[in-house]
Amino acid sequence: MYIYNELDQQLIEQRAEQFRDQVRRYLAGQIAEDEFRVLRLQNGLYIQRHAPMLRVAINYGLLSSQQLRALAEVSRKYDKSYAHFTTRQNVQFNWPALEQVPDILADLAKVQMHAIQTSGSCIRSVGSDHFAGVFADEIEDPRPWSEIIRQWAALHPEFAYLPRKFKIACTGSRSDRAATQVHDIGVHVVNNDAGEQGFEILVGGGLGRTPMIGKVIRDFLPRQELLAYLEAILRVYNLWGRRDNKYKARIKILVQSLGVEDFRNRVEAEWERIKGGELTLTDAYVDRIKADFQPPAYDANAAADTSYAEKLASERDFAVWIERNTVPHKVAGYRAVTLTLKDYLKAPGDLSDVQMDEVADLADRYNFGEVRTTHEQNMVFAHIKQADLYPLWQALGELGLARPVVGTINDMICCPGLDFCSLANAETLSVARQVQERFDDMDYLYDLGDLSLKMSGCINACAHHHVGHIGILGVDKNGESYYQFTLGGSAAEDASIGKVLGKSIPLAEVGDTLQKILDTYVEIRDEGERFLDTVRRVGNQPFKERVYAANH
Amino acid sequence: MPLIIDRQPAADTWVRVDSEEGLKQSGDLLVDFALWLEHADQLKARDGRLGVVIDGDSELDPLLSDLDRLALVAVAFPSFADGRGFSLARMLRQHHGFTGEIRAVGDVTWDRLRYMARCGINAYDVPAERYSDDMLSAFDEITVCYQGAEDDPRPIYRQS
Ligand code: SF4
Repeated sequence: MYIYNELDQQLIEQRAEQFRDQVRRYLAGQIAEDEFRVLRLQNGLYIQRHAPMLRVAINYGLLSSQQLRALAEVSRKYDKSYAHFTTRQNVQFNWPALEQVPDILADLAKVQMHAIQTSGSCIRSVGSDHFAGVFADEIEDPRPWSEIIRQWAALHPEFAYLPRKFKIACTGSRSDRAATQVHDIGVHVVNNDAGEQGFEILVGGGLGRTPMIGKVIRDFLPRQELLAYLEAILRVYNLWGRRDNKYKARIKILVQSLGVEDFRNRVEAEWERIKGGELTLTDAYVDRIKADFQPPAYDANAAADTSYAEKLASERDFAVWIERNTVPHKVAGYRAVTLTLKDYLKAPGDLSDVQMDEVADLADRYNFGEVRTTHEQNMVFAHIKQADLYPLWQALGELGLARPVVGTINDMICCPGLDFCSLANAETLSVARQVQERFDDMDYLYDLGDLSLKMSGCINACAHHHVGHIGILGVDKNGESYYQFTLGGSAAEDASIGKVLGKSIPLAEVGDTLQKILDTYVEIRDEGERFLDTVRRVGNQPFKERVYAANH
Repeated sequence: MPLIIDRQPAADTWVRVDSEEGLKQSGDLLVDFALWLEHADQLKARDGRLGVVIDGDSELDPLLSDLDRLALVAVAFPSFADGRGFSLARMLRQHHGFTGEIRAVGDVTWDRLRYMARCGINAYDVPAERYSDDMLSAFDEITVCYQGAEDDPRPIYRQS
């Protein structure tokens, strides 16, 4: 985990004080409403339906147990004793008072946390792979690079007033668990033919109103040039991105309107001017950052334990959980565990203060004090010794964090929707409950195989519905919540944008509709074929016929 | 309007010209970009210092060869949300070696001063109703810089 030095610490403390002064001047009438809006957004502060909402950065999804306890404490002291973990690996508080936000930021700064650029038209917190360091096929741990990008982006003087928000994700493996192809920039660690390590750079992915898959604009960038190249991309975007229409302001629209070639030429021309200069990364710096991400001290004898095999054989529920919610680790005798923040009939991604404290304790006891957040709104303990899996499973079960639903439609990704978000067009949380109630037979869910269900309450697509195998988008029809389905999306290395099934469906029929889609799949799938592959093979038509049959 | 130059309140010696009439005045003229394009030769021939106002829409190429004739480039910030001026200023310094005054005009207020300064802008034309002497503290609110910029080209890993 990155260890802050004096300067890192000083920066976030100064930023918290700067915001305190901005709030003071705003409350004294010295900053107009619309201008303050921009300033508060750059510090993650929204004005929501009921109250302000504060989004705190969890950079590349990595938290220490101490930080998680601090989040629990903030939720107790300033909020309603819970927090919401988001699809961008960050955390949100839904009920803070504006006047108290500077104090919250000061408290968070004590544990090296901040809300810098978690919202607004600037470079947002950097996403990364929640299984970094776990799999043997990883080329390199992407988190040091994510941290290097974070530092470069933090309070960058040139790019604080971009045409629109800007999201970067970095991954170190061919398997894409960070949805890099739907980010404004995707950074992939790669090796070239000469065996040198560098980056493949994608630009122009994104969701929202005009979903697009990112395009490769450079297939190999020497590693020391990473920041110079990013600076060139951002400069081109800052100068030429559209500012007259917020729906056309993302970089994906610029790339589309210029064409990839022209866009690339502009970036490369700018890069030519600055490459080899001061921005060139130094080995000493990269090494210093990497040193903070060394693997923990694994137990060399972890695999010798026999209790794990015994429990697997004797306790079916435990074995099911292992099968669904854990993955093998490259270190023998270890597994990585997903904590499902999808408790039965609870809002996806929410944790109470008590749960946060307990998870922090478990992290200390079993996971080297580390917690990760995922863009599926879950958490990960990445290094669990096999002998600890059973007691951990029991403890998580008591906390409601061990539902064996990873990769099923019960592991639904869902934004807060109409209950909290002022931009929402439709309810989402009640739909999530409806789905959970309807589909609570685990054996049925397992039989369906890997299936991602993602639901957003409006076209802003915070839950990435376009890249769900099944996506649900909430729309408003004369004040009623309706839902539009898309099929065939993927956020992984085979990324694709789902296609709209047909006209939207009223709230009460979401469960039935889902059932019809799943029934169709079960009938027409080939042996062992994933839902996504079936949709890719046959298209939407068979699903469409079934879903809309009754209405004809 | 109140003017800050190099972090100090300063008097404005420039006359802003946005019509052909104005070009006949003596003294230091700050000319809109379109006027400059049309009257560059005449302007270069006169006594007195010259400045040009540019914004994010200005096609700068014709200006670049004459940069050394300019004592001042004013970068317009049409609204506080328009950040193109930050890149324009940096490119004037970084790519075109402009060493004269770069002045921010338009929506120039407290909370952008530090970023402007880092991007190479050293003068700030602040609307009267938004000016206070207190705002000079904006430059020092944050003293840690991860990035190199025009105030100091060294990123954090090349400092010290
Ligand atoms: S998708 Fe829309 S409703 Fe959901 S959180 Fe985002 S902005 Fe709000």
